[in-house]
Amino acid sequence: MSDTTQPLLKVRDLTVTFGSHRRKLSAVAGVSFDIFEGETLGLVGESGCGKSTTGKALMRIVEPSGGTIEIEGIELTTKNGKDLRNLRTRMQMIFQDPISSLNPRRRVKDIVAEPLDCWKTVEGAEREALVNDLLSKVGIDPVAHGNRYARQFSGGQCQRISIARSLAMRPKLLICDEMVSALDVSVQAQILNLLEDLKAEYGLTLLFIAHDLAVVKNVSDRVAVMYLGKICEIGPSDTLYESPEHPYTKFLLGAALEADPDSPIHGDVLSGEPPSPLNPPSGCRFRTRCPNATEKCALEEPQLVEIATGHQVACHYPLSTLARK
Amino acid sequence: MSNSMMYVNEMVEEASAHDRPERKRRLGILFWICVGWLALNVLAAIFANVLPLQDPLFQNYVSINAGPSLHHLFGTDDLGRDIFSRVVFGSRVSIEVSSGAMVIGFGVGAPLGMLAAYRRGKFDAILSSVMYVFLAFPAIIATIAVLSFWTPRSLFKIIVVIGIASIPVVYRVIRSAAMTIATKDYVVAAKVQGATDRRILMKELLPNVAPIGISFLLIGIATVVTLEGALAFLGLSVNPPTPSWGNMINESLAILQTNPWLAIFPSLAMCLFLLCLNFIGDRLRAHYDVSDGKL
Amino acid sequence: MSQEQKLLVVKDLATTFHTPSGPLAAVGGVSFDLNQNETLGIVGESGAGKTVLLRTIMGLQPRTNVDVSGSVLLDGFEVVGASEKAKRSIWGLEVAMVFQDPMTSLNPVMRIGKQIDEILRVRLGMDRRAAKARALELLELVGIPSPAVRYNVFPGELSGGMRQRVVIATALAGSPKLLMADEPTTGLDVTIQAQILNLLEELKEQMKMSVVLVTHDLGVVATRTSQIIVMYAGRIVEMGSTREVFAHHRMPYTRALLEGSPKVSNPSHTRLLAIPGRPPNLLNLPKGCSFAPRCSFATDRCRQERPELENANAPGHTFACWNPLPVTQSVSA
Repeated sequence: MSDTTQPLLKVRDLTVTFGSHRRKLSAVAGVSFDIFEGETLGLVGESGCGKSTTGKALMRIVEPSGGTIEIEGIELTTKNGKDLRNLRTRMQMIFQDPISSLNPRRRVKDIVAEPLDCWKTVEGAEREALVNDLLSKVGIDPVAHGNRYARQFSGGQCQRISIARSLAMRPKLLICDEMVSALDVSVQAQILNLLEDLKAEYGLTLLFIAHDLAVVKNVSDRVAVMYLGKICEIGPSDTLYESPEHPYTKFLLGAALEADPDSPIHGDVLSGEPPSPLNPPSGCRFRTRCPNATEKCALEEPQLVEIATGHQVACHYPLSTLARK
Repeated sequence: MSNSMMYVNEMVEEASAHDRPERKRRLGILFWICVGWLALNVLAAIFANVLPLQDPLFQNYVSINAGPSLHHLFGTDDLGRDIFSRVVFGSRVSIEVSSGAMVIGFGVGAPLGMLAAYRRGKFDAILSSVMYVFLAFPAIIATIAVLSFWTPRSLFKIIVVIGIASIPVVYRVIRSAAMTIATKDYVVAAKVQGATDRRILMKELLPNVAPIGISFLLIGIATVVTLEGALAFLGLSVNPPTPSWGNMINESLAILQTNPWLAIFPSLAMCLFLLCLNFIGDRLRAHYDVSDGKL
Repeated sequence: MSQEQKLLVVKDLATTFHTPSGPLAAVGGVSFDLNQNETLGIVGESGAGKTVLLRTIMGLQPRTNVDVSGSVLLDGFEVVGASEKAKRSIWGLEVAMVFQDPMTSLNPVMRIGKQIDEILRVRLGMDRRAAKARALELLELVGIPSPAVRYNVFPGELSGGMRQRVVIATALAGSPKLLMADEPTTGLDVTIQAQILNLLEELKEQMKMSVVLVTHDLGVVATRTSQIIVMYAGRIVEMGSTREVFAHHRMPYTRALLEGSPKVSNPSHTRLLAIPGRPPNLLNLPKGCSFAPRCSFATDRCRQERPELENANAPGHTFACWNPLPVTQSVSA
């Protein structure tokens, strides 16, 4: 990437380890990436690959056990108490389960105003106006529905309210953790379009975590693919989807079914299941399921290497070089 | 087929999940009858002094062991005291002991339980193991033991002992209720928005734990009323001649053959009181169960 | 197509639940049929009645507070109104079901081998040894590695994909003619989903079964089914051969489903076709077409009169709409 612009978020060697010394589970095992202002980075991978944990570690909802997280040049991992609370106004998170992310016993207006009340930035009529504005921005009628309880809304509406709440403090970075995976297709389209609109309006930068490859491609400028706690490939979304370099990315894309009867079903389906993160394979973590694996893959762990502008892959035998042979 | 009923419920929820106005759910007439009865009991206990009742301690030797009559609604006991008035005054002890003990139990147990559920970690581990040690003692035996040695007995001591004994029980119930709520995304979301721990406890946890706490409080009161009754029956509660439901039943034992009224009325009063408490507690719990927004 | 080939004939099927808030029309006026060795996909959003339809066809509705009318002829057996005992004679042998959540459809405290054994012994009257041999065969058939070892494990010890394979094995134990799969791959990862879908397809060919595949995932129906039914608010709004419906859909809701879901082949930031609102409340359905309140083509007629299924150009392709999309509108999807 061009170094002229400072990334908004800079993550280096982030690790998250769960459990005690005897049963160590490294959910995130050394992840590094940058997110630049105004872009959307998609983070895809299958369940258990550590994508959600990465998002939670960025918000310090789970404690990272190593590495650095810098937002606008400020180191996050060493901050505590009030400093940490302060930094949290710069980044916000939207969760997967829309219904459980809203307190069922609070009124919608109060839920959206919660960040404002925490920080006491605006009060009285100004607060009311801001809340109404946020609610109308996400398509909830503040007059008719503002005083209802959260439990009276459907999943899609709850997700809208969550978005309004997350925007109240005008954060720079919004982390979306599987935010549309619990929604129906027609509602999902509404929320994705809304997200794109709000991103433009509020100048947001997004980290979009999801397992659905089509959804991720739709919203992302760049995409990072995770497997067993590590990023195996990262690149501009169109390039990455068109010509994946990592064999895992290729299998993943091959397994994604296009809603088109004429699209070919890929014959080669990835066999087996991901190994346990309690006991990851030596060297390249994908080697146990990779058709191209050699001895080198078992001995040496591949690092992320730039093979085209902005396109990095962690593989000893990227597919384009393999094809040339 | 409980399985299929669950499935119908799911369908109804799915369908009604959309555009539902705040639906009024009825608590039922029986609920309000119970509330009314309890209120009557409590009011009678509070205003017993000003109500036109006979002196509960006045011994009228002219009518001993009399059956119910217009003059003595519930009859009289072996010392000629008016049973109706003694039952009303006796409820004071039960109500004072149970509410006092619950103030102590909830005052200490509930905040600790919520804090332990929210904080987790070492704080929770240490506190919980202490509480579980206390829970291992059978409460009634421990209470009897303490009250036997801590003399002279007074209402205050009884309240303190039962109150302390109830702390671990309250702690356990509130902790487990708060635990399921503390793991919800909205609690995480509040944290992420920069809410302080205090704010999260008050705004997110408390309103959702409260309904469970209230229904348990009612059941707790009922339990203490029984416990006080048992203690009084053993002669370990307030000293005679002060009436309490428990010691009235105790006194009635000797003359059960000649005057069953002395046993029947305090027992009936206690029974109804407990029944109402348990019913209200149960009803409220079901009423406020908005688990995950499903009504 | 002659009558003998029809494995399943559903006519005017309606399922209404009686709830405290009034009657809930979960499924209404559903008619379709299914040939042997064919895969039918049923798509729709949550609350569209897919699952209820499937259960009604199976005869699995609750005993009380529900009305089922119409007819379900399953290989000559009338399911609607049949006694529990009669239905039991077809469950597992004629028709079997694979549920969405493999964890809840397996008994967590029973070894998986025993769960398959039991079906074989109780339903097919096999003796202990034959049952075990057949169970091992089935485990092998559904692609479980080292079946002899897995025979003795508990469901909790298996991954989600493996558990779903076991569920499929139990469903296949009685060699049913019709396999009903209710969201069989929802909740599984894409690579595992591909494995399971491939497995279902292989088994269908191998055992000459018909498959009904209920899903909300259009990718799954597009690639794995030959016929498709689109449901909305308990009714069929469009059906036909998968290829035909995807290419020449006429019902605006079908279009919303197809163009509302992001596609891998589209470039990033493609604007999605989003329809406003959400599926209607089944307790209080609109008078005319259920989709009318969300439809941009809706007219007064749509709001007053419910459209019935009518024929499109291709044989077997029907749709229910007063203002269908023009036929030329076929390049998308």
